[in-house]
Amino acid sequence: MSLDYTRQEMMAIATGREIRDGELAIFGVGLSMLAGYFAQAHHAPKVRAMTEGGIYGASPIGGLPWGIECNRISANATSFTSALDALGCLVASGRCDVGIVGAAQVDRFGNVNTTGIWDEGGEIGPRYRPPKTRLTGAGGANDIACGARRYIVMVTHEPKRFAERVSYVTSPGHLDGGDARARHGFVGGGPSAIVTTLGILRPHPETKEFRLDAWFPFSSVDEIRAHTGWDLAVSPDAHVVPEPSAAELAALRRVDVTGALRKQA
Amino acid sequence: MPHEKLIPLAEAVRRYARDGQQYASGAALPVGSDAVVFGRELLRQKRRDLHAIFHCNTQQLNLLAAAGAVTRAECGFSGLEGFGFANGLRRAVESGTLALEDYSNLAMALRLLGGALNWPFVPATVNVGSDLEYRSGFAPDASPATAKIPRVTDPFSGREIGAFSPLRPELAAIHVTLADPLGNAIMLGTEWSRFELSRAAQKVVLVADAIVDTDCMRQYPNLVRIPDVVVEAVVYCPFAAWPQGSPGMYDVDEEHMKAMNKALATEEGTAAYLRDYVHSYGDDVDGYLDLIGRDTVARLTQGPSAFLLDPFRKWIVPHDEVLALLDEHEKEAA
Repeated sequence: MSLDYTRQEMMAIATGREIRDGELAIFGVGLSMLAGYFAQAHHAPKVRAMTEGGIYGASPIGGLPWGIECNRISANATSFTSALDALGCLVASGRCDVGIVGAAQVDRFGNVNTTGIWDEGGEIGPRYRPPKTRLTGAGGANDIACGARRYIVMVTHEPKRFAERVSYVTSPGHLDGGDARARHGFVGGGPSAIVTTLGILRPHPETKEFRLDAWFPFSSVDEIRAHTGWDLAVSPDAHVVPEPSAAELAALRRVDVTGALRKQA
Repeated sequence: MPHEKLIPLAEAVRRYARDGQQYASGAALPVGSDAVVFGRELLRQKRRDLHAIFHCNTQQLNLLAAAGAVTRAECGFSGLEGFGFANGLRRAVESGTLALEDYSNLAMALRLLGGALNWPFVPATVNVGSDLEYRSGFAPDASPATAKIPRVTDPFSGREIGAFSPLRPELAAIHVTLADPLGNAIMLGTEWSRFELSRAAQKVVLVADAIVDTDCMRQYPNLVRIPDVVVEAVVYCPFAAWPQGSPGMYDVDEEHMKAMNKALATEEGTAAYLRDYVHSYGDDVDGYLDLIGRDTVARLTQGPSAFLLDPFRKWIVPHDEVLALLDEHEKEAA
């Protein structure tokens, strides 16, 4: 049976499958929130979800929230606290199991850039200079990248977004690879997966270089390699991801009531 | 009813806002609570060369930056969440007219906490090891930057860690849901970093969506996270956060959020926005509500979180009574 779903929906479901029941989880706005609340609606009913503003116990009402403090995520909360509490006491402390972050650009070690795009080949040069295109900055993603036990990067799979080396490391992945994170004493373990519109990449256990772990029913190894800006290695046990089940799609669409993920193919 | 600290918005800006000062907004991320109306008034009174301390960008910073009133800004997040990139801020940063110093959201809260506690620095376990540490918009020649998040030795472990500089903004305009005329405030929704900011700032002006009788604070003293002792003045302005939302009070005005951000993307659009939505209304609260449109005001008030206000409604001072208190104040001042 072939189900009708979009690449964005597959990405959200594949991300949601990374979330396990009972975990303490932090979601950002947009796709990341849909993926997280999909997991809660489908296979992780006891996930303990919070936003970086310290909204606990809530789920979206009336559509995808415009922001993580929007009324759509404030109508059924059981606790409102603060950024210091959520990002500090619960993430920087090392208590948070899993976070989901978005990326404008990601590199072979899972470092994330959400700060800007620079001209002249993307190199900033020795002197810091304004980007050609200024993006949104770090938000809480840097804090999640440093503090969460693991985190998942969600990103549209396009060559320009998959760089050998990001122009600006906004949120640290595995930095230069290997045990580079250890030099900075981060309490968190770094990115465990990059989930894209075409497949899933995971880090090599030692080198921490991201390799192709799985492709989606509608994509292929060749297509993914062609859309990646570095020479992407393929894991020996690379496989196809099962397509969304009817129950998964139904759960996702209950969360995504405004169809944000169906508008973009 | 005493009205000690209740003053009109225009007077608050005249009294406390100065060119070149460190000005902080007390907000809850880009689309929630923020005294956006205070930023409009800063522009009406032609304040400029501001050093903006915004935990997160909001439409207020987007507007101030688009209008050229900000030369330096420090932020943890510089977008508009679901509404995309902040076009006004983006234009100012890309053109180099505004120097933006990037931190993360936790870093900004920690720096405000450091200022509030008068700490010399705050240990940094985040932002280190990334370009948030190595690149500085305020000191672009330093590569890698060493003065932004300098290294210190943890005296207990002997390990090298980062140090955040504390923030003590000269002025903070903090948006709150409810304030009494003495300056006690209740915030509905996430506080974000308004607790820390209210203690870190040298002067605090509250901008409240509604004024309540002090009996409300006596009923819910645990919820009064900003007490009067740290507050200079209270401004009454319904829909102070418009077009952003205020939990319990009103929803995001989606149409205006988009139109405003679109306008701020160009110089011409910004000039038109300033003409139509900044310099167009009178000094009174009713003129401001007319600008938003009474139908819009009524529609946005019926949001899904309106029930959050229910326990407090009986103490809300009716609109006309607050305006009468303000009149009384003006007569006394004259």
